[in-house]
Amino acid sequence: MRKLINAEVLEHSMKLQQMGGKINIVNSKLCYVSFDISGFELMYVYNINKKGNYFLERIKPYPLPLKEFESENDVVDIIAIDLEQFKNAIKSHHSSEFVDAGRMLIEVLKKFEDLYLYYNISTEHMNEMMNQLNKFAEQIKQVKSESERLYFKKEPENL
Amino acid sequence: MFNHLTLAISIFVLTYVIIMSEKINRTAIAMFGAVLLLLFNIESQEMALEHVDFNTIGLLIGMMIIVNIMKKTGIFQYIAIVSAKFVKGEPWKIIVIFSIITAASSALLDNVTTILLIVPITLVITETLGANPIPFLIPLILMANIGGTATLIGDPPNIMIGSATGLGFLDFIQNMTPITIVIFIVTLFLLKLIYKKDLNATEEQKAKIMALNEALAIKDRALLKKSLFVLFLTVFGFMFHQSFGYESATVALFGAGLLLLLSKIDPEEILLEVEWPTIFFFTALFILVGGLVEVGAIDFLAEKVLAITHGNMVMTMLLILWGAAIASAFLDNIPFVATMIPLIKSIGAMSAISITPLWWALALGACLGGNGTLVGASANVIVSGMLEKKGRRIGFLNYMKIGFPLMIISIVLSTVYLLIFYV
Repeated sequence: MRKLINAEVLEHSMKLQQMGGKINIVNSKLCYVSFDISGFELMYVYNINKKGNYFLERIKPYPLPLKEFESENDVVDIIAIDLEQFKNAIKSHHSSEFVDAGRMLIEVLKKFEDLYLYYNISTEHMNEMMNQLNKFAEQIKQVKSESERLYFKKEPENL
Repeated sequence: MFNHLTLAISIFVLTYVIIMSEKINRTAIAMFGAVLLLLFNIESQEMALEHVDFNTIGLLIGMMIIVNIMKKTGIFQYIAIVSAKFVKGEPWKIIVIFSIITAASSALLDNVTTILLIVPITLVITETLGANPIPFLIPLILMANIGGTATLIGDPPNIMIGSATGLGFLDFIQNMTPITIVIFIVTLFLLKLIYKKDLNATEEQKAKIMALNEALAIKDRALLKKSLFVLFLTVFGFMFHQSFGYESATVALFGAGLLLLLSKIDPEEILLEVEWPTIFFFTALFILVGGLVEVGAIDFLAEKVLAITHGNMVMTMLLILWGAAIASAFLDNIPFVATMIPLIKSIGAMSAISITPLWWALALGACLGGNGTLVGASANVIVSGMLEKKGRRIGFLNYMKIGFPLMIISIVLSTVYLLIFYV
């Protein structure tokens, strides 16, 4: 019920204001989109509103913020490309390993953040972890240079 | 083949039974019932629209717009924090001061709106105090329904009665506010006896209340000034609407239009927040009851009431007061009042009874009766729902143990008041 949601928003706002937060409440539509690619579930969530603060996130097979988009029309283009890439990628022999690795990386990121928020770690440990991360990043670049490219409609955004 | 009378009564009764059962959304079934009357030619579309009380509809929409803009300012949180700090975080004193705020707000806004504004704030206060919210929220439910009884615009039954009878804002102030104040004081005193021993807070918890910063609650000072100016103007308009010859809806819609203009907020954003299902529910009820009027069922009922009371005003008044109170304790008071209004008008037309006291009896019974049970008023249901989301449960019987006796006491006080001043 809309009025109960409004009451909950009011309660949250009061608590967040007392913490020093500034709250900007925007009326919006939250859209969930799911695709079934031969048993492989791909799911997105995106928000659309009049104020121009949009976001799009892939929530399955693993959660990943995709992009803040400028126009509501862009969201369909972004999903279309992502969907096409996944349709292509799941044909790979290593598809399930990639998905598992993606989930594992998110778990590692959460654990890494817990280290930051809950522990005072030594400089040696920090440097060691940074070295490992740099090595992993270098390895990704190396694997890329030694692998055959399969998708050409768009340039990779992060690689 | 059914004749129109049988058909109209069947559709009406079936629709009301389904509304009361709460198995289907009340707006959906009321609209369907109303449209059936049109489909079976019991009322023509033109006639159905004539039965819609656009003064009630306009007043509700106008006040909803004003409140939806005002709540963006943070004024309600500001008042609550200042009040809680004023009583230095003492739990019982917080209940007293929040009860006053709730009753006063409810006299100017409808009960549900008041509850939706005050309960979230109260939940933050009780969480800060580490206290069980139930002893804080039950008094607020009771006070919202009591406060709403006091004025023309405080509760939908009063809006409907005022609109149908021409009784104005000042008439309600003169006739309803004094008894409402007495009921408020007596109820508060009894609540103190019930709850005082359960309310404790440590100095540390009280210090957390004192640490709340009211200045952070105000989100938009310019909008706050404009809103207060318009609210003042609107209340002034309500006080003198009869002298100026305006309907109360004209005043509310003027306030709403002016505030929309001054606030420069996108009207679509505000109109989205208007409770359209409630508005359509009212519209459908007016059409349904209009159907009964057209086929003569209301006149038939009025004759029966007069036969029971032998045309005696005191008996009729007490029957309406107590009947409305008991019915409203278990059922939605809006459909009940929508049916009672033409019934009382018919009683007036068929007998020599002065019907003005009957309107006050109906208003007192329908508004205060809602305090009797957890399903008696929308405000009660909403608080119960909000608490359940927090993993707390009031419980129908637990509420009734407190609400029902307090409701009966308020109706006894109303009976004494009506007998002293209107007989």
